[in-house]
Amino acid sequence: MSDLFTPTADWQRLPSAYATVRRLGALVSNLIATAIVAVAAQFFLEWPWVIGIVVAGLGWTLWRVIRAGRWVRSFGYAERAEDLLITHGLWNRQLTAIPYGRMLSVNVESGPIERAWGLAKLQLVTASVHSAGHIPGLPQAEAASLRDRLIAAGEAQALPL
Amino acid sequence: MTASPVPPPPTGPDPDRPDPLVEPGPHNPTDDRRHEVTERPHPLTPFIRGWVVLLAVIVAFGRDYLPIGRDPQPLPPLEVIFSAVGVVALASGIAGYFSWRFTRFVIDAEVLRIDSGVVFRRSQRVGFDKVQSIDVVQPLAARLFGLAELQIDVGSHDRPRLRYLTRTRAYALRDYLLARAKGVQAEAADHVESTSVLVDLGAQDEVLVRVAAQVLLLAAVTSHEFWVILATGVVAAVVGIAFNLPWLMLVIAIPTASTLVGFVGRRVTSQFNYTLSQRAHGLRISRGLTSLTSQSLPPRRVQAVQISQSPLWRWLGLYRIDLEVIGWGQVTDNEEKTGVSTILLPAGTLDQVRVALRAIWPRADFEAVQLHRAPARARWLHPLAQPFLRWGHDDSLVVSRHGWLVRRWQVVPHARIQSVRVAQGIASRSLTLANLEFHTAGGQIAPHAAGLDAAHVLQRQEELLRLVHHPAPVDLTEPPTSAELSESQTAIGGGDSDNSASGVRDQAGPDARRADQADDTISSSE
Repeated sequence: MSDLFTPTADWQRLPSAYATVRRLGALVSNLIATAIVAVAAQFFLEWPWVIGIVVAGLGWTLWRVIRAGRWVRSFGYAERAEDLLITHGLWNRQLTAIPYGRMLSVNVESGPIERAWGLAKLQLVTASVHSAGHIPGLPQAEAASLRDRLIAAGEAQALPL
Repeated sequence: MTASPVPPPPTGPDPDRPDPLVEPGPHNPTDDRRHEVTERPHPLTPFIRGWVVLLAVIVAFGRDYLPIGRDPQPLPPLEVIFSAVGVVALASGIAGYFSWRFTRFVIDAEVLRIDSGVVFRRSQRVGFDKVQSIDVVQPLAARLFGLAELQIDVGSHDRPRLRYLTRTRAYALRDYLLARAKGVQAEAADHVESTSVLVDLGAQDEVLVRVAAQVLLLAAVTSHEFWVILATGVVAAVVGIAFNLPWLMLVIAIPTASTLVGFVGRRVTSQFNYTLSQRAHGLRISRGLTSLTSQSLPPRRVQAVQISQSPLWRWLGLYRIDLEVIGWGQVTDNEEKTGVSTILLPAGTLDQVRVALRAIWPRADFEAVQLHRAPARARWLHPLAQPFLRWGHDDSLVVSRHGWLVRRWQVVPHARIQSVRVAQGIASRSLTLANLEFHTAGGQIAPHAAGLDAAHVLQRQEELLRLVHHPAPVDLTEPPTSAELSESQTAIGGGDSDNSASGVRDQAGPDARRADQADDTISSSE
């Protein structure tokens, strides 16, 4: 992995259970989407087209299921002295640095599939809508303690706007 | 000059100049904290607020009796009309009187209170430490009667409004409230200023930038928006010719022409007589032909600045400056809005750009930032923009330049950056390029730098992240200290920029800061 997106820091990776959650999520959402499109298409199009759509949908689903593991391995976060680094992405890589002092709130959310695996998602809110800092697939206990650490660090280092 | 709680008579032959209203100046809040200033809206207020409704009613009912299209209905007997009009007039008059009677604006030692409502009483309190800025807005109807509305910016989108007051009274009250918001207890003496119909300028104000109507017109006609509208019309017309549909030409030509006229008209009227001025309590922008708006500009809340230049403006040397100001909502692209606008400079020369930016950030010089070119291979991703792409930063500002049709300069102080992102798409990676994004509150200007050398970004990364935390220890919006003042005096004229005269800030420092620190809560609510 390029050094540009993982500067030297204590990088934390996501648990492999999250890859399973992501695969499952991709599978369910894609199959539903494919089914809806296919059903809608068969009213307007010839059968060969509908079969083509189904095949394309299944192919896309397979692709996402295969990629899920790699995407989860690409995700990393690092707590540094003054900011939190988040990196992810396979094709479109990115590294976001959010200073603790800029965080307005830190939320923990957990959907039904994630809960079944005991995972939770951490959402970081800054004054900017573009920051979009989130760390998915953390073990729930880890998410809660990370949230508390981030809030404490944010209070300690609050930066004036 | 009399602090009279007694309202002026509800009806008067001369609505322009009712009683000498309450002057807040003479009373001194330091020695009399219990003293309240009570202010009532102008008696004409209900009529001005209701004239749109009245017009709608007349149109809705009158349409049936006009000989348009179908045969008009026979007019009802005259007595019926008169009695109907009489009843409506009486009812609205009574309603208006009571709404006027029950509305009052009270200024006491701590808060501004707005009481209103007859049946459902509503009392709104605005703490002086929450006041960010105060704008004077004069919609057309109010303006015809010499009235104005005060909009108090407390950082939220829902602005407490005082409407309507006489123009001079509105300006005086605005200055008074601003002074109170800055924690100034002693009051400036000269409230009676030369406020003309077209501008909001006092004698002691210093004009920094003024844009003539001709420049606005020229800028509107040469702007890319104008040409986009025109090009759309022309393309549609060509399609019409190609398909041999001459009637289509007409169908296209009329809306295109009216859109163009409307666009130019809006640009000119909304920014008519644009004046950026420096007053004792901060910067002020006043503008508008049909509705005059006078808005305060709090430099401390400016998050990001974008200077843009339409293609034809390159030959004319014109630029436009947009601001991202926390709590001001959307960056203005529709100039129709009468209220607050995020345009710092509708169209101006490079010198005016410098003056305007110097006014909000006296300590920053965006031109002094050393800029780096994009590597030649960025041409593959940005074929037309590559020669123009630049980015750079010093220890207080980040500056980037991009765009090929419309050129944009984006300037963000490190101290306003919420987070930094390095991004690299699959094409960028094969070219070892990277993009930088600087996230600011609000986030509509979205400052970014594209097509950078990845190695260069890597080298700068740590530095950038450090600067978000530890920007240069100067506040860009602070006026230079007296030592620096002497050298910069010629450049920015007064030297005292930002929120207050330098003498005032020293004594009122904590209070002045307090008003600014409300920003934290503002951003969180966005």
